[in-house]
Amino acid sequence: MSTRYTGARITRNEDPALLCGRGLFVDDIHLPRLAHAAVLRSPHAHARIVRIDTRRARAAGGVLAALTHADLGALGGPLPRLIPHPALVHHKTQQALASTAVRYVGEAVALIVAESRYAAEDALDLVDVEYAPLPAAVRLEDAAAPGAPLVHEDAGTNVCARYTQRVGDVERAFAGAPRRFRDRLVMDRGTASPLEARGVVAAWDPRARLLEIWDSTQAPIPIRNGLAAMFGLPQTSVRVVAPDVGGGFGPKVMMFYPEEILVPLAAQRLGRPVKWIEDRREHFVATNQEREQIHDAEIALDETGRILGVRTVFLYDAGAYCPYGLIVPIVAGTTLPGPYRVPNYHCEFTAVFTNKTPVSPYRGAGRPHGVFVMERLLDRAARDLGIDRAEIRRRNLIQPDEFPYDVGLIYQDNAPVQYDSGDYPRCLGRAAEMIGYADWRAQQDTYRAAGRYLGLGVACYVEGTGIGPYEGCRVTVEPSGKVFIATGVGTQGQGHLTAFAQIVADHLGVTPRDVTVRTGDTAAFGWGTGTFASRAAVVAGTAVSLAAEAVREKTRIVAATLLEARPDEIELADGKVFVRGVPARALPLGEVAAAANPLRFAMPREWESPGLEATRYFAPPRGTFSNGVHACIVEIDPETGMLSLHRYVIVHDCGRVLNPLIVEGQIHGGVAQGLGGAFWEKLVYDAEGQPLTTTFMDYLLPTAADLPCFEVGHETTPTPLNPLGVKGAGEAGVIPVGAAIAQAVEDALRPFRVRITEMPLSPARVWELVAEARRSA
Amino acid sequence: MKLEGTNTLPASVETVWKTINDPDALRSCTPGLKELKATGPDTYQATLQIGIAAVKGTYAGTLSISDKRAPTHYKITLEGTGGAGFMKGEGSVDLEAQGSGTLLKWTGDLQVGGLIAGVGQRMLGGVGKMLIGQFFKCLEERLGGSA
Repeated sequence: MSTRYTGARITRNEDPALLCGRGLFVDDIHLPRLAHAAVLRSPHAHARIVRIDTRRARAAGGVLAALTHADLGALGGPLPRLIPHPALVHHKTQQALASTAVRYVGEAVALIVAESRYAAEDALDLVDVEYAPLPAAVRLEDAAAPGAPLVHEDAGTNVCARYTQRVGDVERAFAGAPRRFRDRLVMDRGTASPLEARGVVAAWDPRARLLEIWDSTQAPIPIRNGLAAMFGLPQTSVRVVAPDVGGGFGPKVMMFYPEEILVPLAAQRLGRPVKWIEDRREHFVATNQEREQIHDAEIALDETGRILGVRTVFLYDAGAYCPYGLIVPIVAGTTLPGPYRVPNYHCEFTAVFTNKTPVSPYRGAGRPHGVFVMERLLDRAARDLGIDRAEIRRRNLIQPDEFPYDVGLIYQDNAPVQYDSGDYPRCLGRAAEMIGYADWRAQQDTYRAAGRYLGLGVACYVEGTGIGPYEGCRVTVEPSGKVFIATGVGTQGQGHLTAFAQIVADHLGVTPRDVTVRTGDTAAFGWGTGTFASRAAVVAGTAVSLAAEAVREKTRIVAATLLEARPDEIELADGKVFVRGVPARALPLGEVAAAANPLRFAMPREWESPGLEATRYFAPPRGTFSNGVHACIVEIDPETGMLSLHRYVIVHDCGRVLNPLIVEGQIHGGVAQGLGGAFWEKLVYDAEGQPLTTTFMDYLLPTAADLPCFEVGHETTPTPLNPLGVKGAGEAGVIPVGAAIAQAVEDALRPFRVRITEMPLSPARVWELVAEARRSA
Repeated sequence: MKLEGTNTLPASVETVWKTINDPDALRSCTPGLKELKATGPDTYQATLQIGIAAVKGTYAGTLSISDKRAPTHYKITLEGTGGAGFMKGEGSVDLEAQGSGTLLKWTGDLQVGGLIAGVGQRMLGGVGKMLIGQFFKCLEERLGGSA
């Protein structure tokens, strides 16, 4: 294929509609006789439900139905358990509506359906629920301790899993190591805060026996398959559409959230379409969260700073239920070694239930934790060994001639963590050059002489991306000459409608604007797993390429008959099909498509099937590993604790870049989210498990005004694991930000000897650390 | 959330004791109290309406007085639920003669959950103090003091 479009910085096909307000989000779905649902949620972190009485609510004006657990029948059982793991002893999932107990503030207790959302919300107040409050397990360490209140009485413990991975002989490495450093590193809770919260619209057509669902989800096909099984319908009788989705970031890849079952059920029972749109306050308690972990970590080195071994023993907060299994802690533990040679490694985690909103992957999904721990350990070692922090990293980097490099661990996809390609020293060198590392100390001294506290941070990461099991794509050339493609991997803003179109355009000799990409509609394409783990470009992108290639070959075969030439003489370009060297013997692509679907007479046997159409799948044996380095310069005001970002440099390698504009957008968004999680955003719960940050007044998102202009450098080491050479880039931006900021803040506050061992920070926390340092000085 | 404070009231311990045991006084002095119905000795069914920040909630619940040691001490327990969540409070009142007046010491422990906790928690301490202040100011007026 030519590469006219693949790799080009072209603007996105999806943007005109999105920017002009012509997108189609779930809340834009308006159907005749649409009813509206509202969810009654638990105000208690932990309580027994003594009694629920919906009589007053049902009698209220405009109310059509009030569902409690007693109304759910067979749908009342625990929701499906995704991704089991042998170490996950207590794989607890919630019920669509709580039956006998609630285990976090926000857990769904009843569903009201009414003529309007207004009436439905008013009726929530009329549901009488008697709770018997129970003691709550709130703080992660307390919940893990013996004698803690039990989140799940029948489990007899709050520990749902313990899991250990080991490489080499860690005990021996530590016993013989000349230098060892140990730290406790703490990361707190955050939430992804997509622009669009969750939402579901469902309609049941009793004549067609068709259940149609519009869902702001990252995984429409598994939702379709699950609903078909639960509702006892053939999969072809359930259509799930994820239309435009205003950001996903991981929490929208659940199967299921309660509303995804309740809304279809209500629609079927009432014989009317039903809409539920999550409001922001609900989102803060009813959509999965992430990030809380406590690591006791230790590093062993020789006197030159060479790593001999690393170990971490950590607690992972699962929240009240663990539908998504152990993905987050496994990713944290396997990301930790990063781009460094760690010959001996011990990683052991305890996953713990708490009476807080359940946890499932959020952009980064454990990777920020692993990187934070490794980079903090290296910073500590560099300082105490008197080695420059970039130099200690350089000395331990895996070299370009060592690939494939086997880390010795098992990744989230159950395949070995085997780095396929990369040039780690080159990325570090380029980031150091871009940020001006060499003369930083001189710069810093100048600022300090002027009474200003500036610091530089530099952090490295390796990111597992593009895991299986598979994705697929169908490419069809329409008689108009336009191309239609469908894939199961939905888009939440990543630019699939453009990147996939670019790949197709190059194979079929059309422009990306001629390619319509349909994603996230089970009626258009019914096989796939979803958008997660930075895998769309890698797995679906490759399937798109394989299918487009097959259509090109078919086009050649059909055109060869029409143009009386051999298939290998046929070329495709500029929307035309022609004989090489004889551009006058050309047909428009659409004409070939029309000819490939004859109305009469015999179809040549070598055409095999009608039309210019092909479906292909790609199933990578394992993930491919991207990498990068972030470097930043921050200023801290020690009197207020406030941070300002002066510069932020990102050098990353996601293999071959399909569209630099899209990759940069992903990086920018990721870094912004990472910075939020490093300094502004924190979910706070009180001692009883009441969330205290449920508005954007209290949960602070960074805005454009808080952020510097990001400086991005692309390195491209193609992966050998797929024909496009691409690696994932979706989560990259967020991963090393906490580590880089921690180091930069520490560097800025060197005169105070402040040590940063926690994320997120905040102005108040930085101020406290400075005050503590001043007191002890 | 724990709150505490003291107030000096211009009446004898006995008079103050009578007043703070008088359902009428409680009814007219408790801010936001819409309804107070005796359901037994020292037990009341109460409806309270309280607004914090943008959130207004009506709580239906019970108010009871216990641990009575006339005329100097009692415990007051309040439990309510409503659309804005739940509240649970426990407080104690101690009276002490001070000259011709009475020193009233109070402590309270308030727990809230649901909407009001999420949205209004930061303001709760201040609002709680203000409401309790209003309560005692009203008592003071009833006892003939200058407000």
